[in-house]
Amino acid sequence: MKIDMKNVGAWFDDRLALTPIFKYMTKKEVPQHEHSIWYYTGSSILLFLAIQIVTGIMLALYYKPTLEGANDSVARIMTEMPLGWLVRSIHSWSATFMIAFVMIHLLAIWFTKSYRKPREATWMTGMMLLVVSMVFGFTGYLLPWDDLSLSATKVGTNIPNAIPVVGKWVTQFLRGGDDVTGDTLTRFFLFHVCILPLVIFAVMAVHILLVQKEGMSVPLEAEIKKKKVPSLPFWPNFILREVMIWLVLLGTLMTVALVFAPSLGPSADLMSPAPAGVKPEWYFLFLFQTLKIFPGNMGPVTGEFVAVVLILLAVVAIFFLPFIDNKPEGKKGKIINYLGVLGVIYAIVFSIWSLL
Amino acid sequence: MRGIRIVILLAAAALLLSPFLAARPVQAPQGGGAGAVSATIAPPQGGGAGAASATIAPPQGGGAGAASATTATPQTAKIEAAPAAPAPAKKPAKKAPEKRTETIVPAFTGIKEQTAVYVFYAWLWLSIVVLIYFLRLWVRESDRVYHAKYYEPEESPRKANPLPQVLGD
Repeated sequence: MKIDMKNVGAWFDDRLALTPIFKYMTKKEVPQHEHSIWYYTGSSILLFLAIQIVTGIMLALYYKPTLEGANDSVARIMTEMPLGWLVRSIHSWSATFMIAFVMIHLLAIWFTKSYRKPREATWMTGMMLLVVSMVFGFTGYLLPWDDLSLSATKVGTNIPNAIPVVGKWVTQFLRGGDDVTGDTLTRFFLFHVCILPLVIFAVMAVHILLVQKEGMSVPLEAEIKKKKVPSLPFWPNFILREVMIWLVLLGTLMTVALVFAPSLGPSADLMSPAPAGVKPEWYFLFLFQTLKIFPGNMGPVTGEFVAVVLILLAVVAIFFLPFIDNKPEGKKGKIINYLGVLGVIYAIVFSIWSLL
Repeated sequence: MRGIRIVILLAAAALLLSPFLAARPVQAPQGGGAGAVSATIAPPQGGGAGAASATIAPPQGGGAGAASATTATPQTAKIEAAPAAPAPAKKPAKKAPEKRTETIVPAFTGIKEQTAVYVFYAWLWLSIVVLIYFLRLWVRESDRVYHAKYYEPEESPRKANPLPQVLGD
């Protein structure tokens, strides 16, 4: 029986409505200006997420989320599976690259003020994606179950304890009890491979939909002066440029993963004291140092409580930034830009301080 | 275009340097054959990848034979119950695996794997450079077509080109 590929194509086109999508892609235009380079950071995040999904599935084939099996299964992946150590390294480094690109993307939007009306919801979903990405990193850090990951998780899950009323409950919920145990490991694994992927896909779908609905933002000055910004078609002009950047990033990621493959410590001992020099992942370092500089007691409340409340307030303020910075072209807009610069300097200085 | 040239140059440099950057100790398989696990293990205080490396040996007499030696089948249970039969020698109890105390540093399992990885990386970077070269040409052509307003019926030079009409476009 001869299959007419034209008919097969027409069948898929009819059922999946591909023609309108392709038509949209050819009609869609991307503004070209001095800040256009930042547009590419968004799609790069998708590339790293795809790599993480593929390598994550490969690792999950052999990983055992139990107290006895977790560390040994990672050791097995690294020593017995063909190039298992490289797959693990690519997974770990793509997480680092992804979070770095999410942060760069967020900062680019902050400084170009692309969150202004009508893109408030796009910014808010983007912030949610940053938080989800960081939680991905936090839950993934425990999975190798070595001393370092256990201690870092103990510190991390203890932070909500400082919040009155709900804090203790949150800590117990995260740990699956009063302390970090095998139940925490199972719980973190479930979050890492089941709940968080569902959340990230849902939020990302809304985020991408909003980006398509509102289109790419143009520079603020051009919008104020009502200047027409030149543009390029999304297909093929923009997407081809994106592919070039993806290829370079892919090569860089693979090379970094080969050269700086992570090692694996011995299995964590729940009874042993925390090893010296426990550090969280790099993207939590500045928060970790912030918690450390607060004194034990500050009047009627603990220093940790004050630090946690300040961090939460900062996160909430950043989440609602488009509403706070409602006149981006004015003085308030400039102040918010300076605050952004200060925030970046603060994060870099505190991260370095934490490493010293 | 200058930026793209820099990217190509950087990619080529990375291609040439990657085998040297990724130089890591290779464990010669020590009597283990294909099944030997040869990850480099460094003691906690031993900094570099090459420090005091050891080889994890596969379980002695492992595989199917070892499993049958420790598993009591219904047949062996029957023999043990028979009074005439001599008492079988007590099998040693299965030892619990010893807890690993060393850090596993990732390493190639042999020269074959190392060569395969380096060849793959060389191919990867070469493919990237070649693809970028062709994509750059494609981008240039796409931009030219777009700026010439080729697909805009009002201003397109296509109007003067009878070929699409002949082809039924």
